[in-house]
Amino acid sequence: MENILDVQGISKSYPLFRLNNISFSVQAGEVMGFVGRNGAGKTTTLKAVLNLVHPDAGQVKILGMDFLGHEDQVKQQIGYAVGGISYYKRKKVRDIIAVTRTFYDNWDDGECTHYMTAFKIDGDKKIMELSEGMKVKFYLTMALSHHAKLLILDEPTSGLDPVSRDEMTVIFRKLAEKGVAILFSTHITSDLEKCADSITYIKDGELAASMKKDDFIQKYTAEMGTTPTLEDIMIYIEKEEVEI
Amino acid sequence: MMTKLLSKEMKLTASPLSFIFIAFAAMTMIPGYPILCGAFFICLGIFYTFQQATECDDISYTVLLPVRKRDVVTAKFLFAVIIELISFTACTVLTAVRMNALSGADAYLRNPMMNANTAYLGFVLLIFAMFNIFFLGGFFRTAYKTGMPFIVFCIVAFIVISAAEAIHHVPGFEYMNRTAGVSKAQCIILALGAVVFAAGTILSHRISASSFERIDF
Repeated sequence: MENILDVQGISKSYPLFRLNNISFSVQAGEVMGFVGRNGAGKTTTLKAVLNLVHPDAGQVKILGMDFLGHEDQVKQQIGYAVGGISYYKRKKVRDIIAVTRTFYDNWDDGECTHYMTAFKIDGDKKIMELSEGMKVKFYLTMALSHHAKLLILDEPTSGLDPVSRDEMTVIFRKLAEKGVAILFSTHITSDLEKCADSITYIKDGELAASMKKDDFIQKYTAEMGTTPTLEDIMIYIEKEEVEI
Repeated sequence: MMTKLLSKEMKLTASPLSFIFIAFAAMTMIPGYPILCGAFFICLGIFYTFQQATECDDISYTVLLPVRKRDVVTAKFLFAVIIELISFTACTVLTAVRMNALSGADAYLRNPMMNANTAYLGFVLLIFAMFNIFFLGGFFRTAYKTGMPFIVFCIVAFIVISAAEAIHHVPGFEYMNRTAGVSKAQCIILALGAVVFAAGTILSHRISASSFERIDF
């Protein structure tokens, strides 16, 4: 199957943190869980993928195109949503859509109306009046209305109640069935149990694993001697002695 | 693409104060007052848009649209320049009214402060140029800090306003404040203001676009 996103050897140094040689790829119709503790480097990696931070080394290809040389073309194919952020919080949903739609060659008003209805988003509400879950659904609506082939979601389920989180995972699965590639960063592993096809695990800026979810669980089943959940594996990988 | 970005600036990003503060061009008509402060307040109006942009995550939103980062900077510069040129046009019209229809008004004849004349318009452009250089140029070094670049602009603007208000009190430079006709020296000030405004804005835009490309968000 076609690689929608190809990340090769991304590295980035900060005074107190180093993201080191991160490589993975996401195919069409695949939901990849991008996992790690807070501060492990997930957001930095996603920002490097989106050219929002400049990696010291490495290469990002989206739909076979180098991001740097084809920035505007590549962005036509990407949808991005992040949890806990409010763009233009005093503006109405309808007004933001009216402006955003003008930038995309493939904007589809029918799809936009479809997702607005499916997600029960009221176009006359201001962003500040939407719940966190509705905000994520709104960002997803905008991403899907221009037929994004790759969704990059940075902790989209953070701050959502369990019902909304479950709803989100169902939505991601349905989108994947339509061929959308989804890279989904989170530290809430139970969400990934439900919807991820593969796991890329990052620890302290290093790539710990990038493989099919079943293979990932199987690998740690052998190491841990039980059949662990993703949360068990995360605790196993990250457990440190706390000295007080 | 630039039209779309500019439309986005107007509809989503702009603070209403940026447009409302254009009305400070009317300070051109106030006698016995440092009328160049009007240009400063117009810049303050534009500053509110940038402050609002940082509050509503406008930059994060815009850089993810299918546009080049350089175009994001250009659109924001164009927004500021459009407000400045509309304001400058208003100042010019009001200066013409003050110099002609109201030239005999007692309040203007006994005005100890700067008069609205051709030199004043040059100084207005100089204030706008300082805003584009020090505020816009400073803002795009981080794309989120508005405070320090604005303080720097305030200091520079205070120096320009003070110098402009002082110059016509210097013996030999009284002609700078004349309102009867258009003198060559006043025209030179206007021309200098226009050159500094154009060159400073273009240079500041180039440096800003380059700084903005290098920012890690």
